[in-house]
Amino acid sequence: MLQFLVDVLIRTSDIMLVAVGLSVVYSLVRFPNVAHVQYAMLGAFATLGLTRAGLPFALALAGSCAGIGLVAVVLNTLVFRRLLRSGSSIAMIGSLAISMILIAVVLGVAGSRPWRYAPTLSSPLQVGTTVISIDQLTSIACGVGCIGLLAVLLFRTNVGRSMRAMSSNPALAAATGVDGARVLNGITFLSGVLAALGGTMLGLTETVHVGLGSNLLLPVFAAAILGGLGNPLGAAAGALLISIAETLVTNVDFGWVVGGSDVYVPVTYVSAASFVILLVALLFKPYGIFDREVRRV
Amino acid sequence: MSAILRLHDVCKSFGGNHVLTGLNFQVYAGEIVGLLGPNGCGKSTVLNAITGYCAIERGVIEIDGAAVNGLAAHRIAERGVRRTFQLPSMPARMTVMETVMAASVRAHGLMSTLAGWGATRRIERETRERAAHLLDELLLTKVADLPAASISGGQKKLLGIACALMGHPTLLLLDEPMAGVHPNLRAELVTTLKRINGQGVTLVIIEHDMHFIAETCSRCVVLDKGRTVADCLPAELESHESVVEAYLGRKSPLNHQAAGTPA
Amino acid sequence: MSSFVLHVATLGCIYALLALGLNFQAGFAGLLNFGFVVFAGIGAYASAILSSHGYPAPIGIAIGVVVAMAIGCAMAGLGRNLAADYWAIATLAVAELIRTVALNEDWLTGGAQGISGVRPLFPARAGAGGDLAFFALALAMTAGAYLLYARLSQGRFGRAIRLMREEPALATSFGYRLVPLKIKATMAGAAVASIGGSLLAHYMSFVGPDYMLASETFAVWTMVMIGGLGNSRGVVLGALLVEAIYSAVPFAKDYFDIGSDIAGAVRVGTIGCALLACLLLRPGGMIPERIRSPR
Repeated sequence: MLQFLVDVLIRTSDIMLVAVGLSVVYSLVRFPNVAHVQYAMLGAFATLGLTRAGLPFALALAGSCAGIGLVAVVLNTLVFRRLLRSGSSIAMIGSLAISMILIAVVLGVAGSRPWRYAPTLSSPLQVGTTVISIDQLTSIACGVGCIGLLAVLLFRTNVGRSMRAMSSNPALAAATGVDGARVLNGITFLSGVLAALGGTMLGLTETVHVGLGSNLLLPVFAAAILGGLGNPLGAAAGALLISIAETLVTNVDFGWVVGGSDVYVPVTYVSAASFVILLVALLFKPYGIFDREVRRV
Repeated sequence: MSAILRLHDVCKSFGGNHVLTGLNFQVYAGEIVGLLGPNGCGKSTVLNAITGYCAIERGVIEIDGAAVNGLAAHRIAERGVRRTFQLPSMPARMTVMETVMAASVRAHGLMSTLAGWGATRRIERETRERAAHLLDELLLTKVADLPAASISGGQKKLLGIACALMGHPTLLLLDEPMAGVHPNLRAELVTTLKRINGQGVTLVIIEHDMHFIAETCSRCVVLDKGRTVADCLPAELESHESVVEAYLGRKSPLNHQAAGTPA
Repeated sequence: MSSFVLHVATLGCIYALLALGLNFQAGFAGLLNFGFVVFAGIGAYASAILSSHGYPAPIGIAIGVVVAMAIGCAMAGLGRNLAADYWAIATLAVAELIRTVALNEDWLTGGAQGISGVRPLFPARAGAGGDLAFFALALAMTAGAYLLYARLSQGRFGRAIRLMREEPALATSFGYRLVPLKIKATMAGAAVASIGGSLLAHYMSFVGPDYMLASETFAVWTMVMIGGLGNSRGVVLGALLVEAIYSAVPFAKDYFDIGSDIAGAVRVGTIGCALLACLLLRPGGMIPERIRSPR
């Protein structure tokens, strides 16, 4: 049971930060930015590069987050804002192009093999029959800590209030004196930071490889859509739901369905769980499970 | 005479805003009825409700005796109802001619399009001819080959009417047809609408332009705060107490004049 | 050298089929399908599975078309209430789901290994003769698809879907039912893509779950956008161009002896840059859609 909980928490923290980053910026940009998951991949590699350059892990992480945040702002200003003038579909396809370019850069520089951060020789902790490594603990703690900080930022500071105002109604917010460009850049920077953080954590618990972002695409979108795009804390809840579903699907004995025992869903189908959840969510609750408004879809 | 359109006790709110509060009126076959009222009285909402673009919360809307509230917009269109939009948005990658042709109801299916049977080609030709005729009636022939989004706002209004007429409607609802249209065209538009009416199409027109109403409509229904406050001839509008009150407020000098009390 | 040119031309025709199908769905009907390649994958698997059980090739192609159209129908049905970009993500999910099934169900699809040894279409002519015959077939299919879509995009059906693409509220006021239109447009695109997939399976003598990777859909999207969304001639040109780049890279890799990772990076990067440049500078594509009235 505890192992189940640990597995769920690990998986949640894997996708949560990236999903929250996506959600935070969506209500301002209004198009699904498929390059966002590649920011996570880029962040993981940036941290890798900085650690290899001799920086301690924490500093490398900070540098990576700042760098990716900057990249996000630059790309948004130079590319996405221009493309959005032609419509959100063009912007989405543009984000596709950016994804391809980012993958190409990393592939060319770092190759296609998986990397690890400086090997940690600490032995995994053991509580009863469940095993958890220091890296996994770090990842979970980081994720939970960040969400807590984000909640404080959004709900207790003036900056956060401006951000929430702009998310729900940019025109009105601008009319009441909120500086649109600064808040947009701030939110974009934040989403980049969260993506880089999430990517590094994922690289910590698994490996750093060029396909890291693409593998995250559907689970992250599923989590963000479940929580309601534009609702960052909802995205965290969505991530939790997705990981519970994924962990359940592969750990539950479905013998009772077919009248046998030891019938498990193959591990390779685990990703299918989040795809099915996404489809069901889009069919019945496209605005997220926390949506209370009645809207014509 | 039976009512081609009947609204009974129709209510609709948007959040806390009660737009329609028990609306009643009828339109009989062959009439041209004007729908008037100050801004915010619910005119566009009525049009949207009748044509299936918004759902009402209470009440009944009947077309030809059959209840239509709750039906999807295309189902209502299938019953011979056509409408225009107050701010018409026209496609940018289709020409004016194509847009009007698209409004035709003469269907030929996917397979017959592929095969290009003789019947399909004949229907295409007849559709094109009717479209050209309507464009000519509404003075749009010059712009027939331009992208529909590139013509002026007034021309888009006229295009909307041409499209609506392609569908051989029995009931046509027009949302502020004169707004944005050049005053010189008003006489032409009035003549065209009267001619259409003579051919058997019932018209319901939302308008602010009083001259237009006076020249075109056989009857006026005035709305205020979501309900009918007057149902009279155009000539009676100016002196009707409720109408003046709706537009100008209770303390209007006109009202006092009509009632005979000093200002 | 000439066999290389023939190879590029044949693959170009096959991808042109996919590009034409996507162009119909996305360019004419405005349906942003990001899981498009799954239709080609279904055609490829149908042909491979059925021919390995001894059925003649046309049967495999036909079954592929039917199944692909059914999946297309389901995808379009999903779009009943969804805005365009949400639907794009849903199609991505459907495609990944089907790819996961193909990856796992060894008994049907050969799992990750795929199905190899798919019988060639012209066993009587071996070698260059067979290749030439295949190219002729692929070219004929491409021409046929081009004419098919030219017919469909004019006429009432074409006007209906193009109107739905830009002004759905207006289309509804004329009495059009949008969901059946979306379903028909999706099915029309899926059928041609499936034929392309079947041809690919016979040409490469192989089919695997990698045929249905999201990156394949993105490649087809690039062909369509660069060529010109909504213009059939443009997308055929786009398909040839992208396919030429794709094929040139491994060629250059062998010639210049570059590492395979670098080669892969150059491939993806060039396509990405081309797509981005196209979107920023010439969003209509090389040959943008023609707007003209029917004669």
